[in-house]
Amino acid sequence: MTSASDVPCRVLVVWCPDWPDQDARAFEQVVTAVEGLCPRVEVLYPGACAVGARGPARYFGGEEALAVKIIDAVACHGFACRAGVADGMFAAQLAARAGRPEAPGAAVIVPPGAAPAFLAPHPVSSLGNPELADLLPRLGIRTLGDFAALSAAEAANRFGAQGALAHRLARGLDPRPLVPRPPSADLSVSTPFDPPVEQSEPVVFAAKALAERMHAGLAARGLACVRVQVQVICADGQELTRLWRHDGLLSALAVAERVRWQLSGWQAAHSDADEGVQAGGITLLRLVPDQLVRNTGHQLGLWGDAVINDRVARAALRVQALLGHGSVVRPLLAGGRNPVEQVTLVPFGDAADPALPSGRPWPGRLPAPAPATVFPVPLPARVTDESGATVTVSGRALVSAPPARLSARWPAHGEPWLAITSWAGPWPVTERWWCPASTRRRARFQLVAEDGSAWLATVQDGQWLIEASYD
Amino acid sequence: MPASRASRASRASRAPQAPQVTRVTRVPVPGAVLPGEAVPDDAVLPVLPALQELLPGGLRRGSVVAAGPWGLLGLALAAGASAAGAWCAVVGLPQLGVAAAADAGLDPGRMLLIADPGPGWPQVVASLLDGCELVLLRPPDRPSAQLRRRLEATVRRFGGVLVVAGEWDGAQTRLLVANQEWVGIGAGHGRLRARRAQVVADGRGAAARPRARWLWLPGPDGSVTIADETSGSREPFWPEIRSTG
Repeated sequence: MTSASDVPCRVLVVWCPDWPDQDARAFEQVVTAVEGLCPRVEVLYPGACAVGARGPARYFGGEEALAVKIIDAVACHGFACRAGVADGMFAAQLAARAGRPEAPGAAVIVPPGAAPAFLAPHPVSSLGNPELADLLPRLGIRTLGDFAALSAAEAANRFGAQGALAHRLARGLDPRPLVPRPPSADLSVSTPFDPPVEQSEPVVFAAKALAERMHAGLAARGLACVRVQVQVICADGQELTRLWRHDGLLSALAVAERVRWQLSGWQAAHSDADEGVQAGGITLLRLVPDQLVRNTGHQLGLWGDAVINDRVARAALRVQALLGHGSVVRPLLAGGRNPVEQVTLVPFGDAADPALPSGRPWPGRLPAPAPATVFPVPLPARVTDESGATVTVSGRALVSAPPARLSARWPAHGEPWLAITSWAGPWPVTERWWCPASTRRRARFQLVAEDGSAWLATVQDGQWLIEASYD
Repeated sequence: MPASRASRASRASRAPQAPQVTRVTRVPVPGAVLPGEAVPDDAVLPVLPALQELLPGGLRRGSVVAAGPWGLLGLALAAGASAAGAWCAVVGLPQLGVAAAADAGLDPGRMLLIADPGPGWPQVVASLLDGCELVLLRPPDRPSAQLRRRLEATVRRFGGVLVVAGEWDGAQTRLLVANQEWVGIGAGHGRLRARRAQVVADGRGAAARPRARWLWLPGPDGSVTIADETSGSREPFWPEIRSTG
């Protein structure tokens, strides 16, 4: 079944260990770093990308040299990655992961033709097929080598199409060829300003015409862009670049508007630093289309949602231009036992899942009603009994004395002592006792002070903390 | 200001509004609607049923509401409009309890949180008012009278509602928790179940007469409902004793 054309081409996989699942945005920087060396990069998932290794390796003088160059380039952007080179995508991915964790900047090179031997000792679970990973070990097939020893016909008969595909992988063949990003023709457009302009109005005006030119260039190829990179270069060489994302098609007017926000946000950031804001004026404005997609047209939502979202998105993007991408967040309700864990904050425009899944029982979570104020950093507090001694909680969750007075370092109140009128607790919370690094043992209290305010307090290692307020 | 042009353009592109709305938003002192004049529904944002008596009609568009020190009351004010589909931006409140907000009726899917707006917070608020109908704000510093008037003008222009946690001298409506009492908790037993709070609303113009209502703020499930005027000897939230088996 194996023909000469079936032997996969050399693939280099760049893999960043422990990459956050949804952080495609930051991974773009890694892809850009790799793209600086090899032009055709395929993003496998956030955290891993692949390039065809043959051409670049010849240019850089060997696969080893290429891998080292790529790892260095990625490290320059502040990310640790590993690289693997092998025949075919699957073997290269495993090779990238095979590097020793204690040497993060390492590359594993599997020589041509050695992929089946390299794959053989790996467990069948590395095929990424949960059904087969469950079934094969029960049949006594524990490694990819065992699986590859079956004939292709038997594997297809017994395990179906999925099995046949997995069998190809186990033999070091590719289920599909590498699909690189299309080589990007330079679709960017730019306008020089001579003499340099000081005000932002002429730049914004030029941006509209420029955006129309960019859209015309894209439309001629049947493409649309999801993001636009706006690049402004000043006379003194300063460069200001920002990517603008938009769900729908960015119209020329919308692009011009974003250029205006970018400039005004920049001016706001620099206005108190120095007077010569534009640093000698703007000399060049360039628009680079990014994330090209086939232009399939754009349909507004039937019930008007899209229009509202567009207004909100514009407001959010404006604030992001002023304060930065991470400054505008949307809350997602999550699971967890503590109020501060029960929300995951996602920057506007990003997609993410809650850090802790909701909808699970989470025994020991706070009962309703939820506190209206949750301090991101708990406030240190002191809680004493009638005699003025700090109230402690024993290992058996017994209170040393009824808490009588409370003082916390919350900003608005100074640090007065409040008499406690009612209290409840302690409720011991022991979390993650199986993991020494993240284990926590605390006791929770609810305290009501004389002014009617209600607080959620915890004791951990003898230290009182105010976690939340119910008012 | 570059903001104004962009936003005016967006305003013009929206659906034409009813003539009454235009008249109300052009009143020099917003909130001072002549007595007896019917308020069109478009000119207000809905509020929770429990707050209907305190804020007859709802939150008037283009107005500023001061809600006292930050607490659940501010969330309750926003809950009705958020549940009805309005977007709500929260500025300068990193300690907002999202779970409590959701229980009170706010939709977390239509919330934007800007924890630290920095020294340029007035511009941030103005930008947000363009997109969101409700902005909850805790000003990082005390705004000058000039700045306050400028923001009030922005609120009027966009027809949103600015809910301020803290003092705001020109606010059309002021709400305050005058009395409060937590129930369900004793000296070493029970737990916090609900809060009976007396909320007082006063303001300018038609809202000048102070009104006070007792509310469950929050009730045992986190929602905000009307409470009895007289404090009952038995609270209604003691756990039911069910026989099992």
